[in-house]
Amino acid sequence: MEKSSKRDACVAKAGQWCVLSACFGIVLIPAAAVAHHSFAAEFDREKTITLTGSVTVFEWSNPHARFYLNVKDQGGNVINWEFELGSPNGLMRRGWTRNSLKPGDVVTVNGFLAKDGSHLANARSVVLSDGRKVFAGSSGDESPNQ
Amino acid sequence: MIQRVPYSLKHVAAIFVLSLAPSLFGQWLHYPTPGMPRRPDGSPNLTAPAPKSKDGKPDLSGIWAAEKNRPCPADGCDDMELGQEFLNIAWGLKGGLPYQPWAAEIVKTRKARYGQDDPGSRCLPTGIVMMHTTPLMKKIVQLPGLMVILNERNVSYRQIFIDGRPLPEDPEPSWNGYSVGKWVGDTLVVETTGFRDGLWLDRGGSPLTDAGRITERFRRVDYGRLQIDLTVDDSKAYRTPWTIRLNQFLVPDTELLDYVCLENERDIKHLTDK
Repeated sequence: MEKSSKRDACVAKAGQWCVLSACFGIVLIPAAAVAHHSFAAEFDREKTITLTGSVTVFEWSNPHARFYLNVKDQGGNVINWEFELGSPNGLMRRGWTRNSLKPGDVVTVNGFLAKDGSHLANARSVVLSDGRKVFAGSSGDESPNQ
Repeated sequence: MIQRVPYSLKHVAAIFVLSLAPSLFGQWLHYPTPGMPRRPDGSPNLTAPAPKSKDGKPDLSGIWAAEKNRPCPADGCDDMELGQEFLNIAWGLKGGLPYQPWAAEIVKTRKARYGQDDPGSRCLPTGIVMMHTTPLMKKIVQLPGLMVILNERNVSYRQIFIDGRPLPEDPEPSWNGYSVGKWVGDTLVVETTGFRDGLWLDRGGSPLTDAGRITERFRRVDYGRLQIDLTVDDSKAYRTPWTIRLNQFLVPDTELLDYVCLENERDIKHLTDK
């Protein structure tokens, strides 16, 4: 377990999607994902984002579990973001279950943005509004060049 | 005539404890591996001697995971850590692989595309080499005359026949090829041919062609460690045969958990060369 300096700033770096998240004293446990696809072909490890919103759907499925989050942008518009996690078997080995998230949960997510500009990110940590860490997921599947 | 019941109080107690097992171990994610040597505190003794099968040969059975030999990112380890050989099968090979010119060129192209054309990205089978390096678990079941490897990835299997049969002379090309093995001392030597063309040996795109012949030498060093010395002889793709060592580690007190890649695949449309 380790703390992230990025967390201390509690500021995301995604243009208009910059969201000031509450400082929860989050402990990040980087985690999961499987060797299904190249991380670098889909996500940019240099572009992180932190968003707070309400879970709309939690998909406990292979090859990646996913959840969707309603997030308000600076103009007040609600955008549904998709966050990719590890595979269920890898996540279960971290102690998580198919019930770890449910619609309506308010969470703060830190992750890596998709390169294609879609509202998609690879989640690195997920923290409930009460400060309880409920999830951590990230892909370790770097490109072969790295 | 009254026969003596062949159970002692100890047996009855053991049966009682086992009857509680479903409530003690609600799921097989955490379940004591039968026969596991243990230390006085109950923890698995993974440095105990390798077990033997009834025929006196080493028993390679167990759940195995690839070695985690890649440094973690600065902010911590991913929980499905990729080994070096998953990304580059020649990581431990001085000088790299002896590619034929076309193979060197195609690897260059595949790397430039971040490996997104890897059959695994399309949820296709990835073959026997990446089975050893993918960070999902495998279960070896060693039987008389046959070794079966059950693979979490795509809930698949591999068979290695150790009943003396020869390799097929004109095999129908397949993802895993055809494997026969024989014991040489305490090492199981497995020969495999009959691969389909176009397999990848790593995420970097090192090719394996239908001319490939793979030799694996399985040696269980102790209860918790399995060494696989793997030789690839594929003159279409490589100028000379080459050999690497892949280490596997026993994962005690758990079971395989299904991973079905096509269940809800949604990444392909997002993959890019950027």
